[in-house]
Amino acid sequence: MKRQNLLRHRQQAVVFVSLLLFNLVLVLIQLWLFVTVLENFLGGHIAMAIPAAVTSLVILGLNMWMLRGIEKIERAS
Amino acid sequence: MEKLKKDFPIDWEEDHYVSRREFFKFMTLASGGLAAGSAGMALWSQVPRQERRFEPVMIAKVTDLNPGKSLPFNYPRATDICILVQKPDGEYAAFSRRCTHLSCPVDYEPDNERLYCPCHNGAFSLEDGKVLQGPPPHPLPRIMVRVRNGEIWAVGVRTNEESA
Repeated sequence: MKRQNLLRHRQQAVVFVSLLLFNLVLVLIQLWLFVTVLENFLGGHIAMAIPAAVTSLVILGLNMWMLRGIEKIERAS
Repeated sequence: MEKLKKDFPIDWEEDHYVSRREFFKFMTLASGGLAAGSAGMALWSQVPRQERRFEPVMIAKVTDLNPGKSLPFNYPRATDICILVQKPDGEYAAFSRRCTHLSCPVDYEPDNERLYCPCHNGAFSLEDGKVLQGPPPHPLPRIMVRVRNGEIWAVGVRTNEESA
């Protein structure tokens, strides 16, 4: 039973770290999008502003969904 | 004393410990900030702010110009060089003369019905100032003109911010 708990805990830790890394990658993509659009925006090119905002909002939704999942996992354990 | 110890823990580990969940929350918050910034820029890009009104200035009399001819003038400041063109159909069009590439003055080309920049072979449409050829990245700002009692007045500047 104790061993099973330990394995479960380890599995959760792996899931947790994987989600954390994924979150990190997504935030970096958002940061890159933001900087690129800002640079274009200041140069008078506005065509990318809306697609970038939509992508950024989708990433935010994904991050919030993962955060909720992590809180659920923690509560369950 | 106990409260002080609790408020200001001297244990380094305890003081700087950030759980994975807290870090995840922080990253999600950062994600929210970036999304808000991007959404703000998208909204800002939709705000119409192309037209700017200035003090009206009389730039020429109708008799000063003939179809297919042009006249340089300065508007809204004395240092802002512009060009007024009477198209062959009699309609007036005025634009900033500063090429949007490297600010060389553009000239009217009656044969090709366009504004031409001799520095790097840039050309702009007489209809709306859009780039027809060459390296200019943006259209020419258009000067809004009105004809009143036989006089041509400049009343504002319209900037087309779309890229070429």
